[in-house]
Amino acid sequence: MRVSLNWLKDFVDLEMSVDDLGEVLTMAGLEVESREPLGGSLQDVVAGKIVSVRSHPSSEKALFLCDVDSGHGIFQVVCGAPNVEVGMVAPIALPGATLPGGLKVKESRIRGEMSVGMLLAEDEMGLTDDHMGLMVLPADLAPGASVVDALCLDDSAFEIAITPNRADCASVIGIAREIAALTGQSLRRPHIRFKEGDRPINSLTSVTINDPGGCPRYAAGMVLGVELKPSPFWIRYRLFISGIRAISNVVDVTNYVLLELGQPLHAFDYDRLVENRIVVRRAKKGESFTTLDGKTHSLNSENLLICDAQRAVALAGIMGGLNSEIYQGSKNVLVESAFFDPVTIRRGSKALGISTEASYRFERGIDIEGVVAALKRSLMLMSDLAGGEVVNGIIDNYPSPHHRPLIEFSADKTNRFLGTTLSGGTMARYLSALGMEVEREDENTFQVKPPAFRVDITRDWDLMEEIARLEGYQRIPVTFPPIRASEELDPPEIFLGDKVRALMVEMGFAEVISYSFISPECADRLQTPKESPVRSFVGLLNPLTVEQSVMRTTLIPGLMAALGTNFAYGEKDLKCFEWGRLFLAQGGEQLPGEKYAFAAVMSGLAIRKTWHSEERPVDFYDIKGALEGFLDGLGLSSCAFKRGQTPPWYRPQAAALVTLKGIVLGTVGELAKEVVKSFDLDETRVFAFELDGSLLLDHAFPETFFKPLAKFPAAIRDVSLVVGKDVECDGIQKIIEREGGELLESVSLFDLYEGGKIGPAEKALAFRICYRSKETTLEGRDINVLHERIIGKLGKETGARLRES
Amino acid sequence: MMDGILDLQKKALEELDTIHDRNGLETFRIAYLGKKGLVTTWMKKLSALAPERRPEAGRLANQVKMNVTRCYEEAKERIALQKEKVESFLDVTLPGRRFARGSVHPITKVTQEICRIFVKMGFRIVEGPEVEWDYYNFEALNIPKDHPARDMQDTFYVSDNVVLRTHTSPMEVRVMESQTPPVRIIAPGKVYRRDSDVTHTPMFHQVEGLLVDKGISFSDLKGTLTSFVHQMFGYETALRFRPSFFPFTEPSAEVDIRCVICKGKGCRTCSNTGWLEILGSGMNDPAIYKFVGYDPEVYSGFAFGMGIERVAMLKYGIDDIQLFYKNDMRFLRQF
Ligand SMILES: [Zn+2]
Repeated sequence: MRVSLNWLKDFVDLEMSVDDLGEVLTMAGLEVESREPLGGSLQDVVAGKIVSVRSHPSSEKALFLCDVDSGHGIFQVVCGAPNVEVGMVAPIALPGATLPGGLKVKESRIRGEMSVGMLLAEDEMGLTDDHMGLMVLPADLAPGASVVDALCLDDSAFEIAITPNRADCASVIGIAREIAALTGQSLRRPHIRFKEGDRPINSLTSVTINDPGGCPRYAAGMVLGVELKPSPFWIRYRLFISGIRAISNVVDVTNYVLLELGQPLHAFDYDRLVENRIVVRRAKKGESFTTLDGKTHSLNSENLLICDAQRAVALAGIMGGLNSEIYQGSKNVLVESAFFDPVTIRRGSKALGISTEASYRFERGIDIEGVVAALKRSLMLMSDLAGGEVVNGIIDNYPSPHHRPLIEFSADKTNRFLGTTLSGGTMARYLSALGMEVEREDENTFQVKPPAFRVDITRDWDLMEEIARLEGYQRIPVTFPPIRASEELDPPEIFLGDKVRALMVEMGFAEVISYSFISPECADRLQTPKESPVRSFVGLLNPLTVEQSVMRTTLIPGLMAALGTNFAYGEKDLKCFEWGRLFLAQGGEQLPGEKYAFAAVMSGLAIRKTWHSEERPVDFYDIKGALEGFLDGLGLSSCAFKRGQTPPWYRPQAAALVTLKGIVLGTVGELAKEVVKSFDLDETRVFAFELDGSLLLDHAFPETFFKPLAKFPAAIRDVSLVVGKDVECDGIQKIIEREGGELLESVSLFDLYEGGKIGPAEKALAFRICYRSKETTLEGRDINVLHERIIGKLGKETGARLRES
Repeated sequence: MMDGILDLQKKALEELDTIHDRNGLETFRIAYLGKKGLVTTWMKKLSALAPERRPEAGRLANQVKMNVTRCYEEAKERIALQKEKVESFLDVTLPGRRFARGSVHPITKVTQEICRIFVKMGFRIVEGPEVEWDYYNFEALNIPKDHPARDMQDTFYVSDNVVLRTHTSPMEVRVMESQTPPVRIIAPGKVYRRDSDVTHTPMFHQVEGLLVDKGISFSDLKGTLTSFVHQMFGYETALRFRPSFFPFTEPSAEVDIRCVICKGKGCRTCSNTGWLEILGSGMNDPAIYKFVGYDPEVYSGFAFGMGIERVAMLKYGIDDIQLFYKNDMRFLRQF
């Protein structure tokens, strides 16, 4: 809420600086988001009396030459305002003055005529948005008098954030009331006094409430014979600062009182109400209604309507109707001041997508006991500004009277809860300052009745908060809760996630974090078939864009996007990974399955050219090596890599399943060319793996047992075999391990040779086999026998033959 | 003639000093000490001397030959040493064969640090679903449907009663539902709001904390969070607690720290207030105890939550929240 400081001063004395006031409000929970001096840049603007007006000789446009008495002499000023006339007093900025917005006023020539200074309209001074003509100052204002002083423009605008619980502060009086409580000042209530005519209101209209739940109170008053015209400056100025457009005196009064007292009002043209009466009821389903902004809405029974004898005339608490609004010819006005049920108004406003100053306040809850005072304040202002006669009496239809809660309050409990040592007397003083009725049973126990405008206070906890606020949070002591050992373990996902990151960072990968939502089209880019789990998307009902409309079912798209980001500026040698959740729709379940996944990608060069090595592009064995290193870090080095049903986004020749004891933990491979292309990464080879986080959780970190160090020497034998190209290394190792039995300690591939003397369908593999016995030193003879047997088996099972050296 | 030999010696030694390689040295040896070298030739001339002068001249000549030979040997050694020194020179300024280091995302780094601080204070880490029931995200946190507090957060809906969680606070309810007090938990994770502009991303990260026990007071909340701020931002960091509103805490407090950029003088980052909002917190509202069956007359406690991006931005001086999810290596490698 944006409010003028001078307006606040109408209701409370301020004996502190503007800075200090900002601090006091912020530290009491009314956060001052910004502060802006008003009128500050108008110090050089003075009253000027227009002595003569004549037409500008050389202008087709209506320009005038005015002689203006500025108090320091008479100057000629060129002016185009239609309302300029002799004898009028208007603000003038003399050369040297700076206007709001930074405009410097200079002596100038306009179409050949001298213009010394500038006669001003209200908008040029930043006071309102009015640009109809020169601002009209009181005719008795002496030329040269300061306009800031004359109009009390030494003012500031405060932008205050109102939290949803403090509906009572969505008004000038509410903020003033809070300042009074915080500073110990007393609050001045707005002035309400007016003359009533003879005609009783009951002879002119009636109010029927058919839905007391939706409308617990409806008050109405009337002014007859108003004259519609613009409001005086001070009303328009205050409305402008608070962001409300001035319309006409009658309408402006309703808005002015809304800002001042927080009570939304509505002015109906009495003569446009069929049978001149008001009925409050629910809308019928399908009923349509045109609001005063010209929009037509289709309603349902959630909407509360204000009607006349035949038709709806306003959306209760939200917006008036086109058919009954005040217009230039309106003569008689019926003013509504009501309390509508917050939930009803909120539902209606949400459903229709209309939020107004009125609905904002009704939703949060207004002061039900202030309904009549606000009505009377508006009747007074209206008759003052628009003339006419206030009819005798008001209607106050109050079918569901409000009962203020009576709260039992304990000072001891409050001190325990806040950690304070305040006396009962201090607490009672704080509560009274906030308008609560406090009845003290003893030093410790009070019965407290909060005022009706504090709709947020119903329990003793609510009162404790008020005590803390008035005492000031800063003055509450600082203590520590007693120490307790935390015996439960942190979830394994946290531990695993940290381990995953540590391992990958060791291997040179950068962690990325991608949005959890992706485009459903990613499933097509990944070439997945119709029934693929990648397509079991959890969709958003209200996504921001299609690109972010479903929850991810794989981490690959996010990583591809990360590659794209970096490719865009020329960085192509990339290694990155992500550890995050996937979301899979589960038939019949409302919540999706959420599980962690882990994926990494590599592209570009594995090794860049340096003084010590030649460059080398990434290939399958780089990503596989990273994955092996990672699995080793989790104690899963026994994982195997197998051909099989790998996902369609891999190049089939270069993809493998990662398995552990027959369970598929994930997949690794080179992404298919078309897939890479579909993510807008042309001519690049991308290698990736993705693992199931929950399976990793199940199997990672097997218990470690110490193996005694070997006591007897090992015997090393190398064997170089020629096999068909399609014979897998892993199969050969398995045979060696099987045949080697107890005596085989390890076998490792140390060379791969293709080409040269080796045929095009063949390759040479060289293995180093380490034999060792746990009981004895092995004899060369025994090893040779075993070694030969293994070679024999390999020949039989794989067609391997010894490579001739 | 005697002077002649001494001149020869002087010339030879001077010449030696100018020799820096093996070839020069060999030329010298041949020129002076070789069979037809100057020294040898000179000695041969001794026989032409008068017999009584021969012994002395002979001694002198021998002396010169020895001197020249010794200096020649020294030069030979010097040159060999020199050669070896250059040949075996190791340039320690050449770049090493580096093991490339990866990097942890700054959000992870900050999350880990926040968790570490609270774990030290006895809090346990918990996690929960990101696609969440409306009930846990709103209802059980005292944010009924049709309550204006729902306006505080723009929500992504999956269905009428399932949302992407808008904060990590649902974990408060989930934990309290599943265990009796005492409770001390910290819940980091991703959250989502339907908001995307220069200062908002539709996904971001929060850490939620909850403590419930007998006799916990608002002053305990102040102590716990003061300690956290000091550990996270440094012991000299001033902070303040300021009343605010959250539907599930009462009293509620916003925690501000002295602006790390301007040190309180006022700047753009702090909107000229000198303070930066860093944490939302408050005493648990008894209304939420009703949902989980805790007795508010027996137990009290507090909760707090903070945005990790904001902490990271302040800690590292990052001025653009969008950077966190672009995954630009030039950004990521700095952490
Ligand atoms: Zn600052």
